[in-house]
Amino acid sequence: MRLLIIAAALLAAAGAARAQPCNTAAFEPCKACHALSLDAGQKPGPQLTGLIGRKVAGDPAFDYSPALRAARDKGEVWTKERLDLFFSDPEALYAGTWMGSPPIRDPQQRADLLCLLTGQ
Amino acid sequence: MRRRQLLALSAGALAAPALITKPARAAVETRELNGYRIRTFSGPSGAGLHDVACNADGTVWATGQRDGTLVLLDPRDGGLKAVKLGTGASPHGVVVGPDGAAWVTEGGQNAIARVDGKDHRVQIWKLNGGPSYANLNTPVFDKQGVLWFTGQSGIIGRFDPKSEKMQVWEAPRGAGPYGIAATPQNTVWYVSLAGNYLAEIDRTAGTPRLVEPPTPQQGARRVWSDSQGRLWISEWNSGQVSVHDPKAGNWKSWKLPGNRPRCYAVYVDERDAVWLTDFAADAIVRFDPKTETFLSFPSDKSGCNVRQLAGRPGETWGAESGTTRIVAIDKLRA
Repeated sequence: MRLLIIAAALLAAAGAARAQPCNTAAFEPCKACHALSLDAGQKPGPQLTGLIGRKVAGDPAFDYSPALRAARDKGEVWTKERLDLFFSDPEALYAGTWMGSPPIRDPQQRADLLCLLTGQ
Repeated sequence: MRRRQLLALSAGALAAPALITKPARAAVETRELNGYRIRTFSGPSGAGLHDVACNADGTVWATGQRDGTLVLLDPRDGGLKAVKLGTGASPHGVVVGPDGAAWVTEGGQNAIARVDGKDHRVQIWKLNGGPSYANLNTPVFDKQGVLWFTGQSGIIGRFDPKSEKMQVWEAPRGAGPYGIAATPQNTVWYVSLAGNYLAEIDRTAGTPRLVEPPTPQQGARRVWSDSQGRLWISEWNSGQVSVHDPKAGNWKSWKLPGNRPRCYAVYVDERDAVWLTDFAADAIVRFDPKTETFLSFPSDKSGCNVRQLAGRPGETWGAESGTTRIVAIDKLRA
């Protein structure tokens, strides 16, 4: 019985963790150039809907820098880990990227952004 | 209609003695193209060079967005100094003020920074009470010595160095305010990259008057005035350069050469020649409004990404953010 109670509590905690909303403020620095919905119209940068699992340079409506096109040609795909690396220093991962954002040094800020992009 | 809000009023600077990294020497390369001399100066590794501003003494400032510094280049001997702007610094724009200091839109600290022209002491004025991250972009001075600036999160602002009074306002259409320029007629204009507009700021009230460019969704990124007060605009989405004449109220646009150009920066020199950058072509491009022709200066490296241009008579300057080089173009003398 005690084990059942502990298991139920753990499941409830896990559910609560999943239900925790993402910090939408994390997207503030990105929103001038990117959108999280397909109906946002033309933006200065590619749209980010369904980014996880998508090929790098994978928005067909956007022309990318040679650096990102080269990554796409190598078959690179956006994973959580690759995005985290990219956010931590875009220029270090893809030198010559057109995106002009500075590195996000704060791991929590990157985690918040990943939460928004992945929905978890 | 949503009421425009004054977002912040603040005063009081945080000052710090100059923290200058070990002076270094830039590698200088010179080549000739189209009757012009092109010089490149290697910047500090990892600086993430972004915008530049020219000092009266011949030296050039460049923001180091990636490592939080303001870099000073002396083109005469390649001398390099990097001034640290503080913890978490991530500077974007820079302009030389009437006091000879470098004034910086310091996005990392959500502040306006001043770096003294002589002793390089750093002063910081934070945007207290405004957005916690305004994504500060570009500064410009008007003829009264007031600094005007944009923030991509959706703000415009002004800072009076004499009174240390700062005012920040919400911009129309939210996120997007990017380039800003002052004209010889002492008007101040900015463009919104995401908002796709040009606007003149009422310098007393801070109210913007929007002017719609003729090309929808053009992505107006930067703006510069010519000697007549006409506004030249680099359009990122459309790949065009456009000009708006406020007196006549008209517009004209030209597409840059090449396949799907990406026009990022604009600067108008003392002869009213228009200098642009094109990311797709990895080039700085000179546009002659009289003949309506383009002259291209491709970089000798790929992924150069010059994000802003500035200059002084006879010289056009920019920073290759992708190669960490400062670049200068001037006409070869006969």
